[in-house]
Amino acid sequence: MLEDIDPGKLGKVGTSARRVEVTPKLTGEGIYASDMVLPGMLWAQVKKSPHARAKILGIDTKKAEALPGVRAVLVGDELDYKLGLYVVDKDILAKGEVRHYGEAVAAVAADTQEIAKAAVDLIEVRYEVLTPVLNHMDALKSDAPLVHPNLGNYDYVPVFSPQKGTNIPNLSKVRKGDVEKGFAESEWVVEREYTNPSVQHVPMETHVALVQWKAGDEIDIWTSAQSPFTVRNLFCYTFKLPLNKVRVVVPFVGGGFGGKAGIHLEPLVACLSRKAGGRPVKLQATREEEFSLLPCRSALTYRIKTGVAADGKILAQELTMFWDAGAYADYAVNVTRASSYSGAGPYDIPNVKLDSYTIYTNKPWGTAYRGFGHVEFFWGLERHLELVAKVIGMDPLQFRLKNLLRPGSLTITGEVITDHSGDPTQCLEAAAKAINYGRLTKEEEERERRTGRKIGKGIATLHKAPAMPSFTATAAVVKMNSDGSVIVNVALTEIGQGSATAVQQIASERLRFPLSKVKVTIEKDTDKEPYDWQTVASKGIILTGNATALACDDLLAKAYSDAAQALRCQTVDLDHDGEKIFIKHRRDQSVSFAQLSVGYAFPNGNAIGGPLIGVGRYVAQGLTNLDKETGQGLPALDWTFGAHGVIVEVDAETGEYKVIKVASVFDVGKVINPEIVRGQAIGGMIQGLGTATCEGYIYDQQGHLLNPSFTDNKIPTAKDLPEEIESIAVETAQVDGPFGARGVGEHPMISVAPALGNAILDATGAELTHMPIRFEDVWRALRKKEPIDNWITKTPSGSCRSDPASRLHSPDRAVQP
Amino acid sequence: MRIKLTVNGRAYEREVQPHLTLLRFLREDLGLTGTKEGCGAGECGACTVILDGRSVNSCMVLAAEVDGSSVETIEGEAKAGKLSTIQEAFDRHHAVQCGFCTSGMVMSVRDLLVRNPKPDVEEIKEGIEGNFCRCTGYQQIIEAVLDASGQAVGEGRLEIAAATKGGRDHA
Amino acid sequence: MLQEFNYAGPATRAELHELLSRHGKEAKLLAGGTDLVVNLRAGTAKPILVIDVKKVAEFRGISFNEKEGLVIRPSVTINELLANKVVNERFPLLAECGHDLASYQIRNRATVIGNVVNASPCSDMAPALLCLGAKAVISSKRGEREIPFSQFFKGVKKTVLAEDELLERIVVPAASSGARGSYSKLKRIAGHDLGIVGVALMKKDGQIKLGISSSAPTPVLVEGLREGDDEAKVVAAARAAISPISDVRCSKEYREFMVEVFVKRLLKEVK
Repeated sequence: MLEDIDPGKLGKVGTSARRVEVTPKLTGEGIYASDMVLPGMLWAQVKKSPHARAKILGIDTKKAEALPGVRAVLVGDELDYKLGLYVVDKDILAKGEVRHYGEAVAAVAADTQEIAKAAVDLIEVRYEVLTPVLNHMDALKSDAPLVHPNLGNYDYVPVFSPQKGTNIPNLSKVRKGDVEKGFAESEWVVEREYTNPSVQHVPMETHVALVQWKAGDEIDIWTSAQSPFTVRNLFCYTFKLPLNKVRVVVPFVGGGFGGKAGIHLEPLVACLSRKAGGRPVKLQATREEEFSLLPCRSALTYRIKTGVAADGKILAQELTMFWDAGAYADYAVNVTRASSYSGAGPYDIPNVKLDSYTIYTNKPWGTAYRGFGHVEFFWGLERHLELVAKVIGMDPLQFRLKNLLRPGSLTITGEVITDHSGDPTQCLEAAAKAINYGRLTKEEEERERRTGRKIGKGIATLHKAPAMPSFTATAAVVKMNSDGSVIVNVALTEIGQGSATAVQQIASERLRFPLSKVKVTIEKDTDKEPYDWQTVASKGIILTGNATALACDDLLAKAYSDAAQALRCQTVDLDHDGEKIFIKHRRDQSVSFAQLSVGYAFPNGNAIGGPLIGVGRYVAQGLTNLDKETGQGLPALDWTFGAHGVIVEVDAETGEYKVIKVASVFDVGKVINPEIVRGQAIGGMIQGLGTATCEGYIYDQQGHLLNPSFTDNKIPTAKDLPEEIESIAVETAQVDGPFGARGVGEHPMISVAPALGNAILDATGAELTHMPIRFEDVWRALRKKEPIDNWITKTPSGSCRSDPASRLHSPDRAVQP
Repeated sequence: MRIKLTVNGRAYEREVQPHLTLLRFLREDLGLTGTKEGCGAGECGACTVILDGRSVNSCMVLAAEVDGSSVETIEGEAKAGKLSTIQEAFDRHHAVQCGFCTSGMVMSVRDLLVRNPKPDVEEIKEGIEGNFCRCTGYQQIIEAVLDASGQAVGEGRLEIAAATKGGRDHA
Repeated sequence: MLQEFNYAGPATRAELHELLSRHGKEAKLLAGGTDLVVNLRAGTAKPILVIDVKKVAEFRGISFNEKEGLVIRPSVTINELLANKVVNERFPLLAECGHDLASYQIRNRATVIGNVVNASPCSDMAPALLCLGAKAVISSKRGEREIPFSQFFKGVKKTVLAEDELLERIVVPAASSGARGSYSKLKRIAGHDLGIVGVALMKKDGQIKLGISSSAPTPVLVEGLREGDDEAKVVAAARAAISPISDVRCSKEYREFMVEVFVKRLLKEVK
């Protein structure tokens, strides 16, 4: 939509307009859910399991209940409700057994935080500790204890495939072509396995919910959440309430990254409020609880087997994803599914067999996390392509370029790529160019000489489509104030990504109003904002952007209709500017928007029209369900392609390394706001660097989380920035996106890790197959360089060599098999 | 026990329990919720305030310790509703996303610029090392600080490459 | 939040000694709070009384005199140490160890004395104090005693301090003035982190000393080495003094390896 407007004619879209909500954030006046207090509010605390797997033999709450100032104590047995976005497998408080370290087994609401904590300490829980299943590959064995023995009886959304009697709540499949035939025709077959651990989102504001369950089951929820309607709808599903009984309000949100995409603390807090006679109750997770009571990102083992023709064309991919989703299915089953239709990367591959397993283990569970599986699997995928390139003797850049999707290609689900899908080739070439891939500059050579360290360069591509239902929809309402300014209501939640500003710019552009006349609501209220599915998936700019533009069109149409009456003409005679609507051929005859805004009054007192309110709605167009056996169909609203180039300096003796440069390129279709896109590009890249270099959950053999705080769960600081950062946007217009735009919220985080791994390989020959890449990991990989012959399962019948011009850059630095 | 202190130039006198941290005191007793709790353990810097002229993690300070002290919080940064130079620079450079780290970050930057009016990039990184930001990746914050201190901001901008009209053939 | 306790802020040394004498068993001393408050919140410290040292006037400041040397008192923060002219001119190794300790905000509160009485094996200040031959001046109502830092640490988070004692002064002998040295600290990120291993190397009057942290139950001192000793001898001495463990941060093998790497680098770097 509007993608063919000459950029020279755009005044607001394409500028680095100031963020609409920045002032209250700068002054401390902005209220987050964690700042809220209400009259009569009680404070909640949670009793958590110290065991990864145990039967609950009994819970004694008598002493806690007797403590003065305690207003409600809850245990699992009192609550007969089941939760679950896709597979309904979770209780509000553990019932009968605990399934992960840190799981909530009881909760208290009291007059003060101190009393609540003292009461929690007085609750006595008797456990029978059981042996947990911690490794997801062990959980697949036939003798593994079942985390959910009752899986076969759980309700679930039919698009998923829970495997009864196992630890597998979902298996998603893609079948394209014939992989066995593809392998048979391949000159080379290369197979290896890659892993990465769980990590936490680490929003700076931990999860928090404030709920009041009033008389008549009228419920108000204030929460730090990404998706107010999902909170409301899942809440009502769980408690069997009509939707209009529950109001969800989301004030300022201190970061989400997917961890706040669904429903988390709200049901528990609501039950405490109800038990406390309807007093408001607030529960704020401590940082330690954020790491264990709240969910994380699933871990992954990714087995990849690639068949390649003599000329370097990939003929077959057999891909198996084993997702360690922890104790509950939550979003993880959908991460599994979304990764399945994307898991071969932005490459044109004729034969694909992909199996993606969600696996239960006794650990904190995996939820949505920026990238929705893609950060995890692109690690393996892009590291694997590097290995394949090495095996066949082809330059890794040329190898990728040869196989990238281009107009006319079919994705692994059978979708046709067009010349407006986006351009992975341009992205990869730009990333490679930005780091002078394939050679060292004079400065870099001099730096190597001076420091004695090795400089290496690596590239990796990425792509992602929004993982969302085929019928995902949203709406926008634009209401005019009596001074001619407007307020835009959308439920797409501002969580720091800049969505409110993008909506303002789109509305302002479409209305032709100055930015100062367009207000976008920041606090979201399910009673006031029109429906939006969720603030996830990088789909906001397209769906909400389009709905906003359409709402503006609707407002203008109504205004024109009223103006035509006021000016005694036809609407076709009219045009407008930021202040008024006027007759095109008699410009002095006009009526201001202010005059029309809430109804127009003629000089004699007659009135026409009324309050001007524009409504726009947009639903994803043309998406289809995927075949359950083959995964074929059209799941993608859009594809955002991209690439990273990394330059790294490595001490080949110790494994210490430093990132010199990261260049990131994304095809965003149209840059609505350059500095906001840049903020996403850099912020996401740094978060990707964190997951690549230092983040990861560490457990002991009993399933205790050993690093539940910042002491040992590190995230990047300002000093962890690369020496140089470059951010590049490509604009291949998304025809059905507003002004040609498509989303980029998640993408900057994807493929940073493999680009780094590939750069370290280039520098030193160290092969890393596990994230994070700590200095010690590089050191170990340097010492135990495994020969690549181990991963070649088919000996080439002839030698495979590409064009000499596209060889590995310097023969003396090529790694010997 | 009773404490007397000034916060953002205003005098306060309050009764506090010994175990109350300065962070909780500011937020709960004085209603100054601009200062945030990110970890409660002195790691993340979201709770940074300026205590007797020095930037500190207020979650690590007891209210009992600040009797007779002067505290500056984010609420004192803007004067009479007008944003300070630092705040305006943060705005201009898109150094704010979710905003939760912003209060502490601005306090650390304020403290840095008092000590070092023209810090270079390394000194800025050193100055905000103790303030986690999960959203921005720090780069635009660094640029805001360079600007706020009257220094050139450098090349960092989003480069927009024109599309080359769809994919190309690499046979 | 923190568990509940009583707070005392004695104004004089005598009052503080009296409080320690009466309540030492259930009391904790509060200086910068950056360790104690963390422990109060985690419940790993459960004192009934917290005694603030900062109101005692005699417990403030760094001073230097040619007879004793450098005197560091309980309220002296890391940043105060780093800014001190005498420290930078005469005992730069102290500044070397302090400058990468935690974050700037922490260094505005964390005290030098607090860092060592905590007796964490990861202490950043201990390596410098060990190399410089610093002495711990310990006081209580019962009197004063002085012991070298090489005898101050007894085990993980354990010092020689009795329940009624406090570390009142750190004294770095004037004889160590002008010692050259540097500190290498292995971290998991470039940003603030505790040391995975830490090696301080000091050269003075033909002697070489090493102070090594995060490689044994306590920070360790390696003495008896001379400038001109070959690298292998210095490395062997370091290896012999350490007994690192594998934990969530690092493996034993990599710690041993990196201690050796740091020793070799510092031998070349410290002139």
